[in-house]
Amino acid sequence: MNWSFKNIFDTGKRPLGGMAWDSQKMLFADVNDNSIRSFDPSTNALSIERKYTNRVNGIAFGDDGALYGCQEGSRRVIRMLNDGSSTSTATHLLGVPHNHPHLIVSDRQGGFLFTDCYHPMLASGPQVFPMLKHQSVLRLHLGPRPQSHWEIQRVTFDTIRPRGVALSLDRKTLYVSDTTNEFGGRREIRAYPILEDGTLGPFVLFHTFGEDSKGIHRGAEGLTIDQQGNLFAVAGDNRSGPGPMVYIFSPAGQIITTHQLPDCIPTNCAFGGPDLQSLFVSTEDGKLLMTDNASF
Amino acid sequence: MDVDMAVPGFHKVVPSDSKLEVIANDLLFGEGPVWNSKSGEFFWVDIINDTIWKYKKGVGRQIVMRPSYKADGLTFDLEGRLVVAGWAWRRVWRLEHDGSITTLCTEFEGQKLNTPNDIVVKSDGSIYFTDPSGALNNVEMHGDDLQRYMDYHGVFRIDPSGKVTLVVKDFVYPNGLAFSADESLLYINDTRENLIKVYEVNSDGSVQNGRIFCKLVGSEAGVADGMKVDVEGNIYCTGPAGIQIFSPDGNLLGRIKIPGHATNLGFGDDDWKGLYITTYSSVFKVRLGIAGLPVKIN
Repeated sequence: MNWSFKNIFDTGKRPLGGMAWDSQKMLFADVNDNSIRSFDPSTNALSIERKYTNRVNGIAFGDDGALYGCQEGSRRVIRMLNDGSSTSTATHLLGVPHNHPHLIVSDRQGGFLFTDCYHPMLASGPQVFPMLKHQSVLRLHLGPRPQSHWEIQRVTFDTIRPRGVALSLDRKTLYVSDTTNEFGGRREIRAYPILEDGTLGPFVLFHTFGEDSKGIHRGAEGLTIDQQGNLFAVAGDNRSGPGPMVYIFSPAGQIITTHQLPDCIPTNCAFGGPDLQSLFVSTEDGKLLMTDNASF
Repeated sequence: MDVDMAVPGFHKVVPSDSKLEVIANDLLFGEGPVWNSKSGEFFWVDIINDTIWKYKKGVGRQIVMRPSYKADGLTFDLEGRLVVAGWAWRRVWRLEHDGSITTLCTEFEGQKLNTPNDIVVKSDGSIYFTDPSGALNNVEMHGDDLQRYMDYHGVFRIDPSGKVTLVVKDFVYPNGLAFSADESLLYINDTRENLIKVYEVNSDGSVQNGRIFCKLVGSEAGVADGMKVDVEGNIYCTGPAGIQIFSPDGNLLGRIKIPGHATNLGFGDDDWKGLYITTYSSVFKVRLGIAGLPVKIN
């Protein structure tokens, strides 16, 4: 089935980032505009949901109904409440501030998994705290003390630059895109088994993106899961390789199908709309794309 | 100690035998330097380590308050109470002599303040403070609510009755502020634009006729942050290379080169000729040839 994508919103090259469906609207991060915008497919209304986000990128709703965001400009995951205020969660890994959080997924048990990357733009304020020596997926969760006691743990120990994260329906598999878009870099989509104690087992490689004389084949960024548990990934661009694309993998790791995207540099994907059948794609070149029925 | 001389007379301001004395060197973010002339103690804050400190020669260093709720600029009011630009606590507050805390301002026209940064008390007892939004975003400086509500970065005045008025709102990032000796002029600097503006102060405490007083000089690390004025009307401001000193007509007299990144400065010692300088990591002291304007305590 051929998908046709509509261009819902276009910043004119300013990157769009993380997305989260709030049951009526698709929220999407206009990262460098320091805002979270929304699109309501039932009315086609575009709105600004929140201002002054200091480069929040990845967003996800928690079990508590609050919207959590990866605040790249402040090196923390924040909790945005319905009354318009926001608070910080934990900011330290083993006693020191972590890197710039990038994309985030709820573990549907009150916690989150997020990718923690380096970023070419400095965080706000004095550069007192160096980056960690690694870029990893981190787990954010409430500790044993009741209420308001966030903790962060490292869960991947073999990633170079994790970008997207998704969790399988049974919460037993963590999907990670590990992407360095340089020659000789790593561009992989991995599936890690989540063990009983919450640590990860050895990963299974779902896909790898290559390179050739035209350049690197731009690797996967955002990941998401459909209601059947299939993994959706966006990757590619028009400079080399197969082009901007949505890849769909079965839980076993087979490529079920792919769908070409219009000319763009896709960064994230998320389901929304009535019955969660619409696939939204945000792009580094500032577009919010939507296809009404992402069936295949 | 290393200085850049822009004019031959700079040694009158900074004598050639002046040395950089280290008061503290284990901070994460020093700020808020102020001298208490009644007790002969020097006060400052470490924002990220959440502490208000004081120091007295022969006694050493003591904690005034910890946690300090990420306090930033400090000064004393006429009664000798510590008045605090509360930064991540999003308020201006006062430490009473009995150790209790009085909140002076948390909002303006129904909107929560951004993050009050620096503060000065006028001789009539009114308090002026700058309100950029840095603590909402700066790594490891956060308080309870990170959301910015105001669409501007204001400079505010709290009059002796407690009434709050907006003084100016045309800054990108207002930071340091200081009055001239006769309080007819108010200097306010802008960190993002790395310049100092000057305003005429009206009898009701409002200001008028703002203009650019000077731009900071040099491409080294350092930005307009803390700022004070001496008895001859010279303006001392943090900036590239350390401390930049300008004549009353806005010409650069010279620069005191400070290791690290200077954040603020305050005059002290019995003769007000000590210049105390905070950096991210340290507090330094330099003896000057000219006295600074005192922080008056009745």
